[in-house]
Amino acid sequence: MKPPGKGLSEFVAEANEVLDALGRNLLALDERRGQEADPDLVNGVFRSAHSLKGLAGMFGQDRIATLAHSAEDLLDRLRLGKAELSDPVLDALVEAVDVLQALLAEAARGGESPELAERVKDLSGRLAAVAAAPAPPTADPLDAIGLPPEVRAVFTEYEEHRLRENLRKGLGLWKVRAAFDLADFDQGLARLNAQLKPVGEVVSTLPSAEPGDGSGIAFDLIVGSRARREELETALAGTPGKLTPLSEAAPKAPLRSARVERVAPPDTDIARLPDPPAGRPNPEPDASLRSLTQTVRVDIQKLDALMNSVGELLLVKANLSALAEAARSGAPGQPTKSLGQELARESRSLERKLDELQKGILEVRMVPLGQVFDKLARLVRRIARERHKEIDFAIDGGEVELDKLIVEELSDPLMHLIRNAIDHGIEPAEDRVRAGKERRGVVALGAYQKGNHVVISVSDDGAGLDVDRVREVALEKGLLTAEQAALLSRRELMNLVFLPGFSTARAVSELSGRGVGLDVVKTNLASLSGIIDLESERGRGTTVTLTLPVTLAIIRALVVSVSGRTYAVPLNSVLEIISVASDEVRTVERREVVSLRGQTLPLTRLGRLFGLPEEPRARHFVVVVGLAQNRLGLTVDELLGQQDIVVKPLGGRLKHIPGISGATDLGNRRTVLVLDVGALMEEVVAPERRVEFS
Amino acid sequence: MPTFDQLLDEFFYRPDEADGPLFELAAGADPAGPEPADEAPAELIAFILDDECYAVPISEVREIVKVPPLTEVPRASPAILGVMNLRGEVLPVYDIKPRLRLSVGPVRVAGPGAARLPKGARVLVVRSDAGDAGVLVDAVRGVVKVKPSAVEVPPPGVAGGERDCVVGLFRRRDQLYILLDLAQALE
Repeated sequence: MKPPGKGLSEFVAEANEVLDALGRNLLALDERRGQEADPDLVNGVFRSAHSLKGLAGMFGQDRIATLAHSAEDLLDRLRLGKAELSDPVLDALVEAVDVLQALLAEAARGGESPELAERVKDLSGRLAAVAAAPAPPTADPLDAIGLPPEVRAVFTEYEEHRLRENLRKGLGLWKVRAAFDLADFDQGLARLNAQLKPVGEVVSTLPSAEPGDGSGIAFDLIVGSRARREELETALAGTPGKLTPLSEAAPKAPLRSARVERVAPPDTDIARLPDPPAGRPNPEPDASLRSLTQTVRVDIQKLDALMNSVGELLLVKANLSALAEAARSGAPGQPTKSLGQELARESRSLERKLDELQKGILEVRMVPLGQVFDKLARLVRRIARERHKEIDFAIDGGEVELDKLIVEELSDPLMHLIRNAIDHGIEPAEDRVRAGKERRGVVALGAYQKGNHVVISVSDDGAGLDVDRVREVALEKGLLTAEQAALLSRRELMNLVFLPGFSTARAVSELSGRGVGLDVVKTNLASLSGIIDLESERGRGTTVTLTLPVTLAIIRALVVSVSGRTYAVPLNSVLEIISVASDEVRTVERREVVSLRGQTLPLTRLGRLFGLPEEPRARHFVVVVGLAQNRLGLTVDELLGQQDIVVKPLGGRLKHIPGISGATDLGNRRTVLVLDVGALMEEVVAPERRVEFS
Repeated sequence: MPTFDQLLDEFFYRPDEADGPLFELAAGADPAGPEPADEAPAELIAFILDDECYAVPISEVREIVKVPPLTEVPRASPAILGVMNLRGEVLPVYDIKPRLRLSVGPVRVAGPGAARLPKGARVLVVRSDAGDAGVLVDAVRGVVKVKPSAVEVPPPGVAGGERDCVVGLFRRRDQLYILLDLAQALE
């Protein structure tokens, strides 16, 4: 086995992308299960399988190539109408994507497991079996329309199939003759195609046998469409296209449009196929959704912009060198004052350019959340099938961008939450009907940006959590005392489910109940300086909201000092700063509070929290930090200013210091620790909960 | 297992210190086995901790730096003096003296009121599986070469305890060197 080298990592990155596209198209097909398959989607999937095969072949990844080849064969038959896109076919293809993903993961690790090889063989056989199932033969409707033989002769097999398909559906076939100037015919043609796409399908584009006027080139577009002549004429307005009918549309052909359940237990009556043998555990049911590569695909224009910034920085550097030279030689005509002015100007310019560079680099690191959402959509389908639940999956906000690192770290917690929603949230269809709800449950995944944060929500319209039951369980497990429980608000009670060792599910489910609970999700989120909040109503559903910073790379921080030590507080969690005299501080049950605009704000002394020596002071600065609905005042000695910082992890040996998220360099070679506000609040706001566990 | 008498013998009586047929570096190797003729000497970095001379394989040491300003890490293990910034990399710096039962309690070298360090003090930046780390030492002695066969297992009583970080002893001229297992010392 060769160690994974550069070539391999390139292969994995590229194959991953191809596979993502394949999965996306397949999902779109899957969502319209039972309806007429969009030929463009089928073609897209076919092309992806084809490129994957080629790619794998080139890198000697035989198992991937074999499986991609089987899938490609099947897809080829599908797009030529030789096979039907039935449920077993779709299931087999969806499974193929999963297996290909697993194979790719193995390839990235540089291993080969016999189970997977077995599965490849198995699945290849299934793909071949479904491909072989013949499509119902029909009389060739193409013969019925009088296409000139020289035109028919140039159609490819695929084009002929599409023509037949259009006729079978009772669509009209039209010929659009369009003449273009040779100079820009490609653009004209693209425009024409774009205008025709909404009204019909352009089956074939043929150079016309009869040329247009002297300087041009003419094309015959064969278009299948349900639209009437007038509609097509309207669509063609503004293009040189002229319409001739080949066959008229049938008056409203019946469409197989009855919406079949999209995500449901598979139908078993159509061409019973060998199911994957039961009993053998799915080799990767819990496979992580993290992508296999660390690669980010970047628009070359963004890189150009970065390159420009670097170029401008070099100019600034040259100017600075010249100034330094002038200062050293002490040129008599150069008074120090004007030198200072010039230096100040250059420094401002340097700052501006660095700002640009920083923004550019941050932008390059951003990827849309959709990357993870698509994978989750596939997962939902699979889980729903395994759990025999009927579920619609709604996605919103896939275009919201987040730092690649965060998106990667987020995929597993999201997977867990969605599993929970399907497993414990959505009730069986019969129960839902009895409760007067829609038969099909809805699991929704949404994201939107809110200032410097991105809010992601996972919600379901299932059974919801019973707040009394939550309290009961928490008491039973000794997670808190009855007195403590009495003090908690409804919301705080709900969030008890994130405590380690808490689980309301009476029967441990195979999918979610792997001994890992929601507390893991919470821990993962905390490491991204995100927070999690849960809201639920009995019988109405549950919504889990994650709030995350847009980027972890560079943040603005407030630099504070306590007992002579310096710390950085991420500014995105700072709400305001107040100055408080010692005699304004009151205590409630020995905990310090201060009143801020009529509200009571709990205080905590950072120095005391960190076990630093304290000096009595007449006035304190209080940094009011807040995340979600919680507020806390951190008492510090001095404020030293604001600064952009790059947070670095403390490294393997110091990973789990509570309250510290990393370290940064303030430019004077001195390392400054960065506070983890979320963890500090957690600790201070609910100390009695912590004590139970530490 | 050699008897205690034998061990004492090995320890005190040695006509040719550098080449004497001693134990392999790893305990449990056959002490009576013939010694390979051209044994490659191991290179070690020797350093001082409280007047004792310790040594670690040079391959485990990434670099040696002057003690940079350290930043205290609240709530970290007491063996961690603080973190240092090594060309942008944040590394914890350890005081292993308490682990070796030398000084009692770590010195404060970070934050206000830090103790002054000896002039020769350095930080050894060492590689380890759990993450690289810095180790504060009083002084660095330099590189010593030693054949693995010249390293003896520490006799019981000299370095007790089952998870001890002293893995061997050897002598060069009049100096006794103590071979350390750093990964163990940083636990």
